[in-house]
Amino acid sequence: MTSYTVSLICAVGINVILAVSLNLITGLCGQISLGHAAFFGCGAYAAALVMVATSSMPLALMAGMLAASALGIAVGFASLRVRKGFLAVTTIGVNFLFVGIVRKQEWLGGEMGVSGIPPTGLGHLGDMTLIVVIALATVLFSLYVTRSWMGFAFKAVGEDEQAATTVGIGPAGYKLAAFGLGTALAGVAGALYTFFTQFISVDSFDFTLSVMLLAMVVIGGIGSTWGAVAAAAGLTLLPEAIRFVNDYRLLVFGTVLILVIRLAPGGIAELARGAFARGRTS
Amino acid sequence: MYYVELALTGVTFGCMYAMMSVGLTLVYGLLRILHVAHAAVFALGAYLTVLIANSAGSVAVGFLAAIALTPLFGMAIYRVLYEPLLKYHRDVPMIASLGLLVLMQDGFRILFGEQGVTFRDSSLSFTTYQVLGLTVTAPQIAVVAAAAATFVGLHLFTTRTRIGVGWRATVSRPQIAASFGVDPIKVRYLNFAIGSGLAAVAGGLVALMNNLVDPATVTVVTYKAIAIIVLGGLGSVRGTLVASLVLGVVEAYGTVFAGAWLDRDAIAFLVLIVLLLIRPEGFTGARPA
Amino acid sequence: MNAQLVLEDVAVQFGGVKAVRGISTAIGVGEFVGLIGPNGAGKTTLIKIVTGLVRPDRGRIFLEGQDVTGLGTPDRVRRGLALSHQIVRPFREMTALENVALAAGMALTANPWRALFHIRRREQYERAALILAKVGLAGTERKLAGNLPLGQLKRLELARALAVEPRIVFLDEPLAGLNHAEAAKQAETISEINASGVTVVLVEHNLEEVMRICRRLIVLNDGAILVDAEPGEAIANPAVQDAYVGGGAMSHAEA
Repeated sequence: MTSYTVSLICAVGINVILAVSLNLITGLCGQISLGHAAFFGCGAYAAALVMVATSSMPLALMAGMLAASALGIAVGFASLRVRKGFLAVTTIGVNFLFVGIVRKQEWLGGEMGVSGIPPTGLGHLGDMTLIVVIALATVLFSLYVTRSWMGFAFKAVGEDEQAATTVGIGPAGYKLAAFGLGTALAGVAGALYTFFTQFISVDSFDFTLSVMLLAMVVIGGIGSTWGAVAAAAGLTLLPEAIRFVNDYRLLVFGTVLILVIRLAPGGIAELARGAFARGRTS
Repeated sequence: MYYVELALTGVTFGCMYAMMSVGLTLVYGLLRILHVAHAAVFALGAYLTVLIANSAGSVAVGFLAAIALTPLFGMAIYRVLYEPLLKYHRDVPMIASLGLLVLMQDGFRILFGEQGVTFRDSSLSFTTYQVLGLTVTAPQIAVVAAAAATFVGLHLFTTRTRIGVGWRATVSRPQIAASFGVDPIKVRYLNFAIGSGLAAVAGGLVALMNNLVDPATVTVVTYKAIAIIVLGGLGSVRGTLVASLVLGVVEAYGTVFAGAWLDRDAIAFLVLIVLLLIRPEGFTGARPA
Repeated sequence: MNAQLVLEDVAVQFGGVKAVRGISTAIGVGEFVGLIGPNGAGKTTLIKIVTGLVRPDRGRIFLEGQDVTGLGTPDRVRRGLALSHQIVRPFREMTALENVALAAGMALTANPWRALFHIRRREQYERAALILAKVGLAGTERKLAGNLPLGQLKRLELARALAVEPRIVFLDEPLAGLNHAEAAKQAETISEINASGVTVVLVEHNLEEVMRICRRLIVLNDGAILVDAEPGEAIANPAVQDAYVGGGAMSHAEA
């Protein structure tokens, strides 16, 4: 296996975790988050610092997860306070704030970022395996949540909070749970990212990435775990498969997003469902 | 003196933000869509101003051409992207808008290069005047003058002309358009046209101020518009003006005091989040949904 | 506080409008109360205050002896209350069965962490199917709520309210928009619910059915209780006739 293939698989794995975790928050629970890159970055920075200090991979993973979900729960609380229509703007703000603050912190490497992050000791193949295993676990977890009563409640909260209250569901707890879980996973992705690149800089975690992640969720089909996986894998591999696409990556992303929204708003998941029509009338 | 200069810089930027953000708030007020692609409209205006000025040999022609062409683009966005999606949940057109923004940002990079474009004749950018002991550049004067003209003009338009009055009423209360004898569809196009035109002016002026339009200049300034319109009260033109000016000045002073730990461009969002947490229902009677 | 529901001086105003002015009343177990009054009288607002969807400016609400004024709707629902909305709010992306099953699973969704550790829905689906049959929606189980016609959505609202096994239900215009036959059938179902021991408070404009099935009428006007009596007596009251402009709306209800 060439090192190119290894990096590719790592990239797909990380994007899958990011897309699936965003899908938990935005797809399943209906809380639009345009700042997911900030949680990814938060996890990455936390893990990077721990790795530099201790070279302990498990500690770094934990740090990434905890740091990101701490920030995530804070944003979750903000989402409770702020009126629903302002959530998108608030999450955009969180992303810009994260980048704007980190960029100025010398102890975080400032503009230069954090380099020379020690390797995990697993070797490239080992890191890749770790990423694949965690990506798989994430997908399984997401599928589980969807099938569980938490997923059932998420769906209600996402669609109509007031109606949810009338069947005994308290939206606040679920929104916090969604943010907490989704961002924790993003933090794990951040840690994995540092293991694989051994260098991070704040510009990788900007608003444009948040938009691309949301695009993956939308293109995959909001709420669908497998859709998010397909979209993440597809949109990561496409630029590699087609050289042309790589140079015009954002152009293609934007175009695909617009096409999907206009022509097939239900995303890949909807198209797939339509292909295997079940007993539902629609 | 230094602080006066800062205030001047702040006001100048504020005027620019105002002209850029009006378009965004107008669309939100009318359709409840967060028209993030407006940033691309602004950028288009900037690029067009420079490119046409260069080929026509006159900055004025560049401006005029941009003001004439950009609204067409803005209206096209409405027709092609938003109109068919109005029937869906509010976030859907916004996502389409995001797609367009990302597409165009990259498009500009591909078409005009990473280095961007500059005015062939850059004398105007560097012309300075001494006013009351301060050095001001021609572009700075132009920005303030343009903003003043814009807002006075808008005010007169919406209070003295029939179309303007009807338009303004419709923007605040879309559902009563009919009773004003105003065609709601025409109002929408007018909205996009005016907003885009103003953004084009703002874009051209930014180009003049920096003597450069490149992918970076564009993004930095334009995301702030989102924060500004929320702070100003979604849909409120006056609020947007106030918020823009205040933000411009806060940024100018803020960079001095907080620049050590916070990037200048994030100030807008810091202010936004703090204020939204304090006053979750928004500002000046805004109603997001 | 022996009554099941007690309101003490409940009032609320929006802007300058006093929607509900200091209302006090009590409703006992098993009662079948009709809440009527002209448009703008404050009926829906009052229901929203009792069910927790609107916070009153003053006053207290006691449910089965407990002060629930500070509690949100989910907590009140867990204490035996249920409601149906005036303008239906089904979960359109879910099937009829799922809508009702979600309500039936109220015990599991009380807490997100408990919800996370439970997957099986069989029991709730079975209960939901029975309830759907009871309200006359058998056969719609697998249809998406978003595709059902209004008449069926009204019954779905009712089904969802029943699924939380309430002891008192608040129904806001469950008959509105239904044709004569549908309304009669729905009214019949509601009577059956009451007959099984559930207290029913019904906001309605359809006076024909209200007169037929309710055993007590509270008439609201301009945010306050005008009359609180047994139906025949309430309708005959001249003040009530006046409140409904011209008395025209009342004529077809006089027995």
